[in-house]
Amino acid sequence: MPLAVRYVLLIAVVVAAALWSLTLGQRGDIHLSNILSLLWVDDGSLARSAVIDLRLPRTLVALFVGVNLALAGLALQAVTRNPLASESILGINQGASLGVALAVVLPFLAGVPLDLMAILGAALAGLVTFAIAGGLGGRLDSIRLILAGVAVGAFSYACVRFTYTLDDDLSRLVINWVSADISSVSVQQVLPLIAWSFAGVLGSLLLAHGFNVLALGDGASQGLGIDPRRVRFLGAALAAVLTGASVAVAGPVMFVGLVVPHLCRFWFGQNHRALVPAVALGGGALLVLADAVSKLVRFPYETPLGVVCALIGAPYFLYATLTARRLA
Amino acid sequence: MTPGQGIYRRRASLVALLAALTLASAIWSLGVGAVKVPVDVIVNTLLNLDGDQQRYIILKSRLPRVVLALLAGGALALSGAIIQAVIRNPLASPGIIGINSGAALFAVLLVSLLPDLPPAWMPVTACLGGLSAAGIVMLVAHFRTLSPAHLALIGVAVGLVFEAGVDYLLVTSSDAERSAPLIWLTGSLWGRNWDHVSVSVAPLMIFAALALVLTYRLDLLSLGDASATGLGIRVPLLRLALLAVATVLASVSVAVVGVMGFIGLMAPHIARRLVGGSHRWLLPTSALTGMLLVSLADGLGRAIAPPLEVSAGILAALLGAPFFVYIMLTTASEQDG
Repeated sequence: MPLAVRYVLLIAVVVAAALWSLTLGQRGDIHLSNILSLLWVDDGSLARSAVIDLRLPRTLVALFVGVNLALAGLALQAVTRNPLASESILGINQGASLGVALAVVLPFLAGVPLDLMAILGAALAGLVTFAIAGGLGGRLDSIRLILAGVAVGAFSYACVRFTYTLDDDLSRLVINWVSADISSVSVQQVLPLIAWSFAGVLGSLLLAHGFNVLALGDGASQGLGIDPRRVRFLGAALAAVLTGASVAVAGPVMFVGLVVPHLCRFWFGQNHRALVPAVALGGGALLVLADAVSKLVRFPYETPLGVVCALIGAPYFLYATLTARRLA
Repeated sequence: MTPGQGIYRRRASLVALLAALTLASAIWSLGVGAVKVPVDVIVNTLLNLDGDQQRYIILKSRLPRVVLALLAGGALALSGAIIQAVIRNPLASPGIIGINSGAALFAVLLVSLLPDLPPAWMPVTACLGGLSAAGIVMLVAHFRTLSPAHLALIGVAVGLVFEAGVDYLLVTSSDAERSAPLIWLTGSLWGRNWDHVSVSVAPLMIFAALALVLTYRLDLLSLGDASATGLGIRVPLLRLALLAVATVLASVSVAVVGVMGFIGLMAPHIARRLVGGSHRWLLPTSALTGMLLVSLADGLGRAIAPPLEVSAGILAALLGAPFFVYIMLTTASEQDG
């Protein structure tokens, strides 16, 4: 199958999943048959406003959080040359959560935007994990990297849980956000997320050649005129920024960055230039589907997106650790 | 005096010191909290002497907590020491190989599916969960030769699967039920009473005694499989028995105090620094260290910002995660060099 056809298929999956997800919810008058007309024609009905004001922002948040997290995972796997790396395993997700929790809890940080705090937290957690595992200099021990990430994640997460014991309203706010409940996002939160996603796709495409060369090993990449440390630094920074931007809006959604690049490699091969668009589309598709599932699991109640993703992703992580040959 | 006696004395005095510290921290932790109670009042109350007493706060609220902290800390530490010896992995602990998460999942399942069952079933169910998690990890380790770090990685992955289940159950339970198990699961002694002590004390004591009986065999096991077999030990059977004992100890403590991450990792390492690797000394010292750590964490959690309480489990994780990294870094360099 030519590459273009595969992309078109993926786009079709994303669109179909998004339309399906838009029809799911409490109202009985929105179906696949009338969803398109509700989206395009403003007939002033309540159904129209439910779709545009309530469901569309949510689906778009799921879509672009999926894009960002999947791209972050791809960059991390390329940078660490470790098939198990992803933002949730390396503690970056939890670091971003800690940044947001601090911004919510500490009064003197009230003016700082959540995005910025999340990105700072993500970057700091990533730095600590990499430093423990041997730094960006090249001698990254793969299993140590993962275990360091788990420890950094446990530490950050313990700090986040610390806020549960504080004031009841604060703790409820943090708990809802930590379980990645995106049912009440607004349009204002969607726009910056879309901007981050475009920056992410662009940045990943620019780094794609570097990622490809990195896979050949440090010696080879130096021979080809590419500084491996620079690619690693840029890739890790990109991952931290994308993770932080998503976590600030949707909470720590786990395992997307692990699962999507893996599945895409089966279908699109190892070339990062082809992988970047595929991973972006695949991440969007997966999270839109997961969001649809989160509406369906206990209909009419909703299950937070983060929990659905953990239920899908944790078994996949176990499968990946058992089958990862390069780690043994 | 022979040199052997010197070492013996040094170890004995260290153990005595540790026991004294544990006792002191337990008494201190009885006194701190929303209502501060001075030491002389505590002693009066405990020994029922003349003078000021605080019977309600001390006997009904704080004493069961402290007793549970000591029980759970000792059990987790023993469990960690045994697991580290059996799978010869300095990174191993009941938390890392997934026992804690497995026990937590089954405990939450029991609470949400059969809320009317008497609390005595809780430790049993938690043990089933812990055994199934440990079983998966051990099964994998049985079929593949794994480096210590890789085994820890698989344990972490198994733990994540169980934790995802716990998250699902917690979030889907109705709001009123949500907060109680959540606080409990983060490893907290909040709201624990004598009922929790009475369901857990018998299994913990029995299995702790079993662990201490098996110490001599643990020493033989540490000589290597071949030597242990030569000395008449049935190694696979012994391993299985020891792991079962360790799993039960950890699971029962999860059933009553929730997940106290990293205690089972830290206590044996600290104890090994103090008294060396001989299990006759290591096991009791680990247990004392675990008791000291958990009762300190519980006391600190209440002392930081009364009347708020910080879960002991959170404090343990804040302390334990850096400790884990430290152990990982030193183990790796030993292997390299």
